[in-house]
Amino acid sequence: MKNYIIRRILQMIPVMLGILLILFIILEMAPGTPASNMMNPKATPEQKAELIEKLGLNRPWHERFISWIGEALKGNLGYSITHKKPVTAVMKDYMGATLLLSIVSLAISVLLGVPIGIISATKQYSFADNALTVFSLIGISIPSFFFGLLLLKNFAVDVQLFPLFGLENPLLFNPTFWEKFKDISWHLVLPSIVLGLGSTASFMRYTRSSMLEVIKQDYIRTARAKGLKEKVVIYRHAFRNAAIPIITLLGFQIPALLSGAVITESIFGLPGLGKITIEATLTRNYPLILGINAMLAFLTLLGALVADILYAVADPRIRYD
Amino acid sequence: MKTKKLLSLILVVAMVLISFAGCGAKEQSGTPEQPKTEQPKTETPKEEIKANKILKMGGTGFSGVFNPIMSDTTYDDYITSVLFEALTINNSEGEYVPMLADWKLSDDKLTYTFTLKDGIKFSDGTPLTTEDVAFTYETIACPDYNGPRAYAVSSMKGYDEFHSGAKATFDAIKIIDGKTISFTFADDKAAPANIESFIYGIMPKHYYKFDKWEDFLALNEKPLGSHVMTFDSYAPKQFIKLVKNQNYWDSANAAKIDGVLVSEVPDESILAALQTNQIDFAQISSSKDNLAAANALSNISVTNYLGNGYTYMCFNCTRPQLADVKVRQALMYALDRESFIDAQYGEGLAEVGMAPISPSSWAFPDASDLNPYKFDMEKAGQLMDEAGWKMGSDGFRYKDGQKFSVNWLVYTDSSWPGTLSGMAADTWKQLGVDLKIELMDFDTVVSRTMDPEPADKDFDIYTMGFVLSIDPDPTGALFDDDAYVAGGFNSSGYKNADAMELVKKGKAEFDMAKRAEIYKEWAAIMNEEIPHIIIAYRKELWGINTRVKGMDLGTYAKWTDVIKNISIE
Repeated sequence: MKNYIIRRILQMIPVMLGILLILFIILEMAPGTPASNMMNPKATPEQKAELIEKLGLNRPWHERFISWIGEALKGNLGYSITHKKPVTAVMKDYMGATLLLSIVSLAISVLLGVPIGIISATKQYSFADNALTVFSLIGISIPSFFFGLLLLKNFAVDVQLFPLFGLENPLLFNPTFWEKFKDISWHLVLPSIVLGLGSTASFMRYTRSSMLEVIKQDYIRTARAKGLKEKVVIYRHAFRNAAIPIITLLGFQIPALLSGAVITESIFGLPGLGKITIEATLTRNYPLILGINAMLAFLTLLGALVADILYAVADPRIRYD
Repeated sequence: MKTKKLLSLILVVAMVLISFAGCGAKEQSGTPEQPKTEQPKTETPKEEIKANKILKMGGTGFSGVFNPIMSDTTYDDYITSVLFEALTINNSEGEYVPMLADWKLSDDKLTYTFTLKDGIKFSDGTPLTTEDVAFTYETIACPDYNGPRAYAVSSMKGYDEFHSGAKATFDAIKIIDGKTISFTFADDKAAPANIESFIYGIMPKHYYKFDKWEDFLALNEKPLGSHVMTFDSYAPKQFIKLVKNQNYWDSANAAKIDGVLVSEVPDESILAALQTNQIDFAQISSSKDNLAAANALSNISVTNYLGNGYTYMCFNCTRPQLADVKVRQALMYALDRESFIDAQYGEGLAEVGMAPISPSSWAFPDASDLNPYKFDMEKAGQLMDEAGWKMGSDGFRYKDGQKFSVNWLVYTDSSWPGTLSGMAADTWKQLGVDLKIELMDFDTVVSRTMDPEPADKDFDIYTMGFVLSIDPDPTGALFDDDAYVAGGFNSSGYKNADAMELVKKGKAEFDMAKRAEIYKEWAAIMNEEIPHIIIAYRKELWGINTRVKGMDLGTYAKWTDVIKNISIE
């Protein structure tokens, strides 16, 4: 197991370099420069050119690539052009809201989706199964911007139960920890429902189909034949075998935890990474685009590795020695 | 077996945690020691800040650069404008008046001598002196400076030597005493617009002085100035909270509100946030629907005023089919801008553009002297015929076997270029023009129009918005022949020595009446030749809660300009 993990980590290095290389080339080909957006009508062409030079963007891309990697290894991802502060600091500013939102909504979708999937599978074609299937299809098909605006209209404007935007109320003076916790939770209710329900449906569908397959296996019949309780059969024996695809799905949720949900973040005015990634792209904020994408690439690779390790935990038949 | 599994589980959890921790851990390295000298606390008893006396604004787009010489977004500028005071400020008529200092202009019109008012203090209690003024302007001119305000000092005497590092002192600035300071412009740079160099906030030297440029930038999120507000807290992409400056030096004119809270509110929610009293005021994007919806809100009063700028269309006059002025005029006659304005903004929220000067400026000529290019397909066809482009049997115009074909770069970051080009696609088709609309983002338009060398400019037509300063001088902008270079704003390739003569004369003329005459003549030429055509003058639409009093907005009166008048019931 240990050797396997070390081998996998070593393999990540060339993959990571490849991803970064592709990123650099794509950015190099993108039209426009960060100065295109600093368009004060009074700035002269010379002043713009000087800005480009100070940003180091007049050097050839391969030179920038090598120096970027060198600096990145030291933990320096450069300076965000629009924020005029280090990329790592900018990422840290926005990471909190994104992590909070995605962890809460992931919890919602796993805690709802997996049990619902199991129930649907064990009671296949029953009324409950059909009802839940319809529910999940609705969840998959409603676009999040529509669902989000609908919730806001109903629960923040018509009935003013929840706040319309933001993550916290800035007009709380010296709040206690408990007050602050309550305030933030209150702000997170609507966005996490929107984000959570969408993926609840996919967790449910995965669990259901994988459970259905396992339930028909001989060893499930054997388990029942030897007189085990139905609960034990389903949750101990069947679910454990059905969990592999769910773990894959979970593994790929790790980068998604930080990639941010652009639409949900925008509608609810949440200060997340998704939104600034889009902004960085539109303003050609190269250092920030690179920093965020490098982090996401790394997390994706890591997520795949974590999923592989978890397979072995869930299924004793899988060994990596 | 069990322990092995447990171990790998722990390992996984640890890996995930480490990866998250690693992402943010390094950020501390650049944070400098704060250069802060302790000041004796002033003894005035602090009033309690009341949440219901805080003015709440909503909008999108602050970047967290709360520094008067570094900020380059509208919302960051708002924040710096209520935290910092400048030497001069404009009044609601668009005239410059003293803010921190009175000034005298020397007879050769090159040297501005400022005398600071008495008793000015920063919000931490330190007196504001000419040292602070010199520090602010030397920072803009210093070799490290990478912000957007270089133009404020670049025509001053000795800028190049100081900026390149060849000389350690900036010749333009002379501190005469603690209250008097002078700025001298280079010999050939006398211009009435020079006063606009002095509208940027003065920064306390004791707080902002730096050894490394990064140390200076690190204070962007902890601003300290002398105005009626002081910085309280900032949460990126969420809100910035300012509270009343309890030590304001001019106590008779201190703020009547307890603070300002600017929250990031998405465009879709602005009206709802106004309706539910979650914000007190906001700019609403100008459209018929929004105007009607805002008017329907009983707790909101709606106001609009002409923005200081215009939207324009640029013709690439180096293209054979667009070099002829008759063709450019024909295309304008075939564009129904009145219907466009009605569809895009609703009546009353925009006007048809004519001269490259804001209609609210003193320099704007009499509109009856200018051609509004009223929609007239017949005239358009006639002009095309005169220019030699004859209608072919396939419904397109041809000259020397060449089809009349143009491309139009349309950016999708805002909606109006799409609306306008969509309407043109219809009427220009009737005129016999083969129009190809290319959709792209804003930066791509810039990279194909302004950024390349003149020979490489890759477009026939593009549209964009332009923001003006109060002074009408067009030097360096769309109509300046010298700006037809890589990175310059003029992409049309149109040259006119007479018009340039007028621009240069207008820039250096100190007599307002004579200057207005010059700009009138210039505007008439540009209205006839239309290398760039002004599409529309847009109005800004604002919704203000009825509990807010004294917020009288106008083209030259932003809410930050009238901050001292604002009160909350």
